[in-house]
Amino acid sequence: MSALRLAIASKGWEDDTLRFLGQCGLRVDRSNPRQYRASMRGLPTGPAEVVFQRATDIFEEVNGGSVDLGITGYDIVAEHRSEEDEILVVHGELGFRRCSLVVAVPEGWVDVTAVSDLAEVAVELRAAGRELRVATKYPNLTRQFLYGRGMTYFELVEVSGAIEAAPALETADIICDLTSSGVTLRENRLKLIAGGSVLESQACLIGNRRGLLADPERLEATHGLLELMEAFLRARQQMSITANIRGESAEAVARRVLANGGVAGLRGPTVARVFPKDATEDDWFALTVVVGEDVLLPAVESLRRAGASEVSATQVRYVFEHRSWTFEALKRQLHGSADGILEKTTAWSSS
Amino acid sequence: MLSDRPAAPIQRVRGTNDILPPADARFRGLEAGLRATFEQFGYQGIQTPILEPLELFLRKSGDEIVARMYSFAHWNRRLCLRPELTASVMRAFVDDLQGHGLPLRLHYAGPSFRYERPSRGRSRQFTQVGIELIGGAGPAADAEVLHLACAGLESVGIKRYRLVIGHLGAALQLLSQLGMSDHAQGLVLDQMEPIARGRVDPEAAVARVVDLLGGGTGSANGRAPEAMPSALASLPPEQATAIATDLLRRASLPIEGGAREPRQIIQRLLSKAQRPDPTDQVRAAFEFVAQLHSAAGSPDRLEGELRPLLEARGLRTDSIEEVSAALDYLRAYGPLADDVEVEVDLSLARGLRYYTGLVFEIYVDSDEGPLQLCGGGRYDDLARGLGAREDVSACGFSYGLERVDLALGPGVATQSRRVLVVGVAADDHPTALGVARELRSLTELSVEQDVRLRGVKSALRYADRAKIDLVVIVGERERADDTAVVRNMHTRDETRVGRAQLLNAVRGAFA
Repeated sequence: MSALRLAIASKGWEDDTLRFLGQCGLRVDRSNPRQYRASMRGLPTGPAEVVFQRATDIFEEVNGGSVDLGITGYDIVAEHRSEEDEILVVHGELGFRRCSLVVAVPEGWVDVTAVSDLAEVAVELRAAGRELRVATKYPNLTRQFLYGRGMTYFELVEVSGAIEAAPALETADIICDLTSSGVTLRENRLKLIAGGSVLESQACLIGNRRGLLADPERLEATHGLLELMEAFLRARQQMSITANIRGESAEAVARRVLANGGVAGLRGPTVARVFPKDATEDDWFALTVVVGEDVLLPAVESLRRAGASEVSATQVRYVFEHRSWTFEALKRQLHGSADGILEKTTAWSSS
Repeated sequence: MLSDRPAAPIQRVRGTNDILPPADARFRGLEAGLRATFEQFGYQGIQTPILEPLELFLRKSGDEIVARMYSFAHWNRRLCLRPELTASVMRAFVDDLQGHGLPLRLHYAGPSFRYERPSRGRSRQFTQVGIELIGGAGPAADAEVLHLACAGLESVGIKRYRLVIGHLGAALQLLSQLGMSDHAQGLVLDQMEPIARGRVDPEAAVARVVDLLGGGTGSANGRAPEAMPSALASLPPEQATAIATDLLRRASLPIEGGAREPRQIIQRLLSKAQRPDPTDQVRAAFEFVAQLHSAAGSPDRLEGELRPLLEARGLRTDSIEEVSAALDYLRAYGPLADDVEVEVDLSLARGLRYYTGLVFEIYVDSDEGPLQLCGGGRYDDLARGLGAREDVSACGFSYGLERVDLALGPGVATQSRRVLVVGVAADDHPTALGVARELRSLTELSVEQDVRLRGVKSALRYADRAKIDLVVIVGERERADDTAVVRNMHTRDETRVGRAQLLNAVRGAFA
């Protein structure tokens, strides 16, 4: 029996990743926080091996096959992909570590408000014998983005250290970097421009094609992992509501509630008989329905109008559908032909 | 240290091909055939490096091609694999050949590289075979190039094709009449080809170009201080700049742009605000392209449809006259094959931005739609753009060799005549070498020597598999009586002949 090997990111990523896995019901036990290996429990196929690595190294580790799966940023995956790699994006949207790769320019460039202005600035600089210098740690994505906007006169600058400081230090004119809140950009007197979003990113799960194909046991463990992740992500922001309603029959209660609207749930309400403490009140029914968190109060109000008294609501932890769609997609990817880089990098981008 | 486990095989790069035998011989034969035609017209061969400075293609080739190049930095020098050969040939001309008498006729063949989605007839490495006629102006030179493009194809056996002739003059004139900037003109030209081919919806193309130009109501291009610049527009530029700078300072908006001068920033801000929304211009340009395309057809449309179209727009009609004259000359070179269809289409654009005049493409029909075999045209500004001392008119074309091969189909494999000489034992090897040497020096045959020395049986097995025609065997006995055994691999007949008669016997077997 070979254990599934999963790489997760250390440093700034660790807390978020462990919280996510925990929420999915996967517990990572590390005997010593300084160790970079641990074991993960919660999969029906048995414990999985966990390796802690830098987010940027995880791509190479998964690609090289030393681990089967890895959780890292989609930005890193998109930047490091090649047509002949062994990487599959198994789940592209794990819902945490959201950020955007954006083009930002000095605040003082009051004439530049959109990417289209950059093409002109590049031409203007070139006429003066200079190239527009773009500082980035994402040369592939940046080049592809600028080419796609009709820009060819630019030079990518490798910067060690903080990218945002490059324009102030005059080692570059503009930058292309990750941002989540925009605070760092503002602090460095940089601004976003219209149409300057290169990529929306978040944490994603990647896998090694060859490794998963070769080992049915690890593939089965991956199946379990995906079931839990997918069901957890689907359950987020879902509330399960239970209400006591008086009525002549279960059918009548259900009809009344559905007629009021707003509480249809995932498929329809479940209505069950309540056996009251007080035998004279035998016309009570319990109704259970799952609704989105954002419509909780309207749903409660609708139930009240239908005659509900006590209403309790709990956060739903998992919503399983009749099969795991991400696992089905993984199987198709494993047995399908290799896609080109263009399709690969856009397959999961949620723009 | 090597382990017992076999090493993982290395995959070839996606979009590239190994040209295996016998395709290799076929390709070389095709290339030689095409070059021979060019040489009949006085063209001389030139070779340029595959590796070029990126700058060569940034200058004049256009964004569309630059975005598809294999480019990289090597020790801080920005390089690329050439995406085509015309710019390279012109660079070589500017470098070394400017002093030569014009016109200069050059032909070339070599690999080019473009990062595109591989499909049938489109690889990322492909072979361009073509010519450049440098210093030839006007329809007479255009016609020579057109004729050679046709003659080359006919010389290798393609006699059924469609020649589409266009001219960029009309479109370029309209764009400058509309007052479009170079940048805008380039973007429109890039979209001309996909629009004319129906690959892109014209409205979508308008939206894309307008978006890239940063105009239009749908664009997110905020025009924050709009009221201010229009008020400043009436002032002299110096004064306007000074006032704007002062106002922005007072609003504590720091106008500092690193490498950009505050002055430049303000001036661009002002000029941007005064610029009209480009949507109408772009739409007008594409409408014209669509009109040109729907007026395309047989050459008589030049006068019947296209001339009135240009005149209605107040455009000069030199493009009509040049195409007409080139076509007249082309017919004077000799009649085109019966199955050649000639079409004029002034919306034809070639995806390379350096073309300035007559352009053309050649297609053949295939089961999977038209296959483009050839493209070319006139590029009178390129030499100057690459640093030539004066304007040099030039035109040329290139074939995609792989596509020409595809159009011809696998055909009949050329019969190579192959002989294998085998020594029965190791002792016989030196004698066998002598026999092989003699056959090579006196015949045109391809003569292989058995070098594995595993005996006759094994050699014959190889000969069978490798489709050798004739095997000559020398053993102890043959050495003693100065003979050799000749075995015909097709009929399995064996005959013993004296060494003096060997040559005749071998020749006879192939007669």
